Amino acid sequence: MGTINISKKYTAKQKSYIPAILVGMKITMKRFIQGFFFRKHDTIMYPEVRRKYSDRFRGMHFISVDPAKTENCTACFLCETICPAQCIHIVADERDEDENPYGVKKEKKPVSFDIDALRCCFCGFCEEACPKDAIKLSGNYELAVSSREEAFYDLDHLKRPMNGRNEK
Amino acid sequence: MFDLAMMMAKILVILGCTLGVVPFLVWFERRGAAWMQGRVGPNRVGPFGLLQSLADVLKFMFKETFVPAKANKFFYLMAPIIALIAPMCALSVIPFGSKVIVNGQEVFLQIAQMDTGVIFILAFAGLEVYPIILAGWSSRNKYSVLGALRGSSQIVSYEISMGLALLSMLIVFGSFNPYDMVAWQKETLFGFLPRWGAFVNPFGALVFWIATFAETNRLPFDLPEGESELVAGYHVEYGGMKFAAFFMAEYVAMIMASSLLVTLFFGGFNMFPGMGMLVDLVVNQFQFGAVGLQNTTAFFEFASFFTKVAFFMFVMIWIRWTLPRFRFDQLMDLGWKVLFPLSLINLVVVTIGVYYFNS
Amino acid sequence: MSNTDFEIKKPKVDLNYSSHLKPVHSDPNPEAKPLPKVTIDGKTYEFKPGDTIMQVAERYKIHEEIPRYCYHPGMPIAGTCRMCTVEVEKAPKLMTSCSTPAGDGMVVHTRSEKVMKSRTGVMEFLLTNHPLDCPVCDKAGECELQDYNFEYGPAKSNFKEEKRVYDNATTKKLSPLVTLNMNRCVHCERCVRFTDDITKTNDLVMVNRGWHKELEATTPEGLKNDYQGCLTDFCPVGALTWNDFRFQKRSWFLAKKPSICDKCSKGCNIEVHSDADVVYRYVPIHNEMVNGHWMCDTGRNSYQEYMNPLRVISHMMRQEDKMHSVSIEAVLASVNAQLKGTSSVQIVIGTDSTREEAALLKDKVPALIGKNVSVSYFNGTGVNTPADDKKLDNLLKMKDQTANSRGVEEQGLTPLTNGELTADVAVLFRNGRTGIPKMKADQKLVLWGVWSQSEIQSLPSKNILGVIAGLATIEKEGSYKNADGIVQKFHPAIIHRGGALSAHHVVGLWKSLT
Repeated sequence: MGTINISKKYTAKQKSYIPAILVGMKITMKRFIQGFFFRKHDTIMYPEVRRKYSDRFRGMHFISVDPAKTENCTACFLCETICPAQCIHIVADERDEDENPYGVKKEKKPVSFDIDALRCCFCGFCEEACPKDAIKLSGNYELAVSSREEAFYDLDHLKRPMNGRNEK
Repeated sequence: MFDLAMMMAKILVILGCTLGVVPFLVWFERRGAAWMQGRVGPNRVGPFGLLQSLADVLKFMFKETFVPAKANKFFYLMAPIIALIAPMCALSVIPFGSKVIVNGQEVFLQIAQMDTGVIFILAFAGLEVYPIILAGWSSRNKYSVLGALRGSSQIVSYEISMGLALLSMLIVFGSFNPYDMVAWQKETLFGFLPRWGAFVNPFGALVFWIATFAETNRLPFDLPEGESELVAGYHVEYGGMKFAAFFMAEYVAMIMASSLLVTLFFGGFNMFPGMGMLVDLVVNQFQFGAVGLQNTTAFFEFASFFTKVAFFMFVMIWIRWTLPRFRFDQLMDLGWKVLFPLSLINLVVVTIGVYYFNS
Repeated sequence: MSNTDFEIKKPKVDLNYSSHLKPVHSDPNPEAKPLPKVTIDGKTYEFKPGDTIMQVAERYKIHEEIPRYCYHPGMPIAGTCRMCTVEVEKAPKLMTSCSTPAGDGMVVHTRSEKVMKSRTGVMEFLLTNHPLDCPVCDKAGECELQDYNFEYGPAKSNFKEEKRVYDNATTKKLSPLVTLNMNRCVHCERCVRFTDDITKTNDLVMVNRGWHKELEATTPEGLKNDYQGCLTDFCPVGALTWNDFRFQKRSWFLAKKPSICDKCSKGCNIEVHSDADVVYRYVPIHNEMVNGHWMCDTGRNSYQEYMNPLRVISHMMRQEDKMHSVSIEAVLASVNAQLKGTSSVQIVIGTDSTREEAALLKDKVPALIGKNVSVSYFNGTGVNTPADDKKLDNLLKMKDQTANSRGVEEQGLTPLTNGELTADVAVLFRNGRTGIPKMKADQKLVLWGVWSQSEIQSLPSKNILGVIAGLATIEKEGSYKNADGIVQKFHPAIIHRGGALSAHHVVGLWKSLT
């Protein structure tokens, strides 16, 4: 009733395995010749050669800064609010006058801005929520670190010099 | 004294060739696999990555010599040694050339010329099951025990078919001496085809060939290792140089199996058809005498033996990266329900044929 | 296709100034004159003669249909913001509902097309000069301008000119407690009316007119009244912000639980705003019987004593001449043994403990100790008995700085004689608000309740047998009887994350020891 018979009748040719084995060997020999004589590979020599990722790729975070190296972030907590992984931790305070040489006074500043990259799911919601275009996700996909502490990005790390989103 | 010196020289040449070719084989296996899978493979150490194997050996040597706490230390250390020595011993009766003339004396290119050569080979091939059982049992690990059980049942099963295939060839050749067998294959069949065992007894050759795969635990018969289900099978608990010994043993066994296959079924050191002309050309070119002729012939014989062995080892690697591993019941089915009856029937047919031709 | 497929629901605006006005009903006696009736949005409501339309709406809790900025139920009516305009049938123009008296038979529409258009217009005018700094504004999330703009505001502005920016007004400290950001102000003048009419201190005034209208303090020292926190509560925008809360937390993260302020005997109703059981501020809740809409600054900041890192939140005992944090069982065993070995024991209940705790300590604890126990209460904040308590101003502040003087006295206790400890061992139970009684330099003490390290270190006697950490008002359950004799029950607003235990828990453990 509830069973389905999936057993299949094989021909003698199929049962002898030999033709199928020969077909398989033909394929591997073809690939062998391609690799050996024509240097045709599907993989790349990674550290020297890098794949071009999409412009919309979301990698390691950074915070954009103004020409005076003051972060654009105003500690509005919108990224912390939207973050589905709850990996952003901000402590806010009043910004000193002398930290505002450019433009309009930035009233509020982040005293600390920590991203726990181990919890981050790289959804990019923080980037969308940010009213100041401060937090962004760069194209840097080399996120490996040698200790757990290094995966907590603090404000200094996030403010590292970046010229554009796609810079490593 | 001269005999002893020649014997030592032959042993050194065989040992050197066998062990010296292993790193290259490992490199070729890895790069060949990479090419077949569309990858690049190890290419960083040395030119084309050729020194990768040496780097690995260096790494193995500096690794900690580790023995599991509850292992039987004696057998645990013994297993890789047996694994390495057994196939090398078997190599000693394989003739890799007819003979050379050194200092006016004939030297046969075979370490030990025995009349019971094939029995000797079978005996040492049978020894290959011991390191697997010992390693699996002595390291006190459930995975390695499972691997050992699989390995032993597999080798015992396939040894029967292998033996029967060998027996059929013994009837054909009428001798146990590998040297005689090669000599028998020197003739031609129907005037154009070399009288190789594979042309005389194709089913025997096929069965024997398949059985050698099983004997050397190569894919698709590598159930004792079975990474996906047994971690690494019987050598789970082995590391460093001990693991390297197992690893080398696999390749030495490959060389041994290929040599045996070539000796029995593919004309041994007999030159390829038409190679005799090449010998004549060389001898005429350099005005060699009788001694020179013999030595040049021996060189070309060795070259063709080497080429044949290399080809079958390449096929082994080729097969490895083509076929997936058998399931255990499929393996047993193939061994007992296909190869065993086939070799039995083949034995009967060959016996009748030999009787018919000889009478 | 109907228009109701997708409808943005009106946000539930928790304005926290609900009115005390209650629905009224006509006398069923047929001879009595019936109350006048007004029809609002198709329903007819009875009202008291003299009510404005807004007040009628408040009586029947439909006032959230009418947005307002300048109107506040606790303050006089001004009618300046024009946000609360409603359509009254037969009236030529829209009427401000806050200042138009309701008339018998009046028909009012609060959400007609004309009204909505007017509100959109008002919102657009208010937003012409309002800066777009919601991300940094602390009011964001509880801002009436945001809420009403979401509901009524225009999708885009026609204002193309530069916004008005007051010189040097981005952050102006009106006082150490309040910061003014004049750019955000919508000129509702609630703050000016509050200082004029509620505190009667006339601290604030609007100077200049029209485009240049600016809020300024009347004296160079800035605000002087004691109710400055209320300015920041009812400011509909982020113009006036409370320095203590400034930039500490965004309002939407805060969990809000009702409780009672225990900083004085008034017992103001408060809402405890906390996140992860850390209190960020107190905000008054409207209770006409107790505190109206207001709350004093002292009480508003009193949470800091409970969030003080120096507060003792684990039980301590003297071991090898040092105070060590130990388990409650160890403290109780030691204290129990030493209390039984002395000639006289005195239990002093602080007037800041709840009625339940006072009853527990009076009835249960002497039985546990067993012999020669005297129980009394102690206030120590300038008053001895509730009879000494008096108002400090015409609004809320009381002289008694503890919450439950009446409730403790009601238990039949007497005040500590001369405010001085006499017995061999004294058990001091307090909630962090009472003073410290006078004592001898070698007085043996058992401290129980909310203490801070600095208080313990400043005690005249160093002979402390044990410290039992207790829960603060916002962490426990109980009831207070305030200066006016009103008993108010409260529940925990936050969960205590330290080792402190409720008095009932401690007494239960003590009982299991003996």
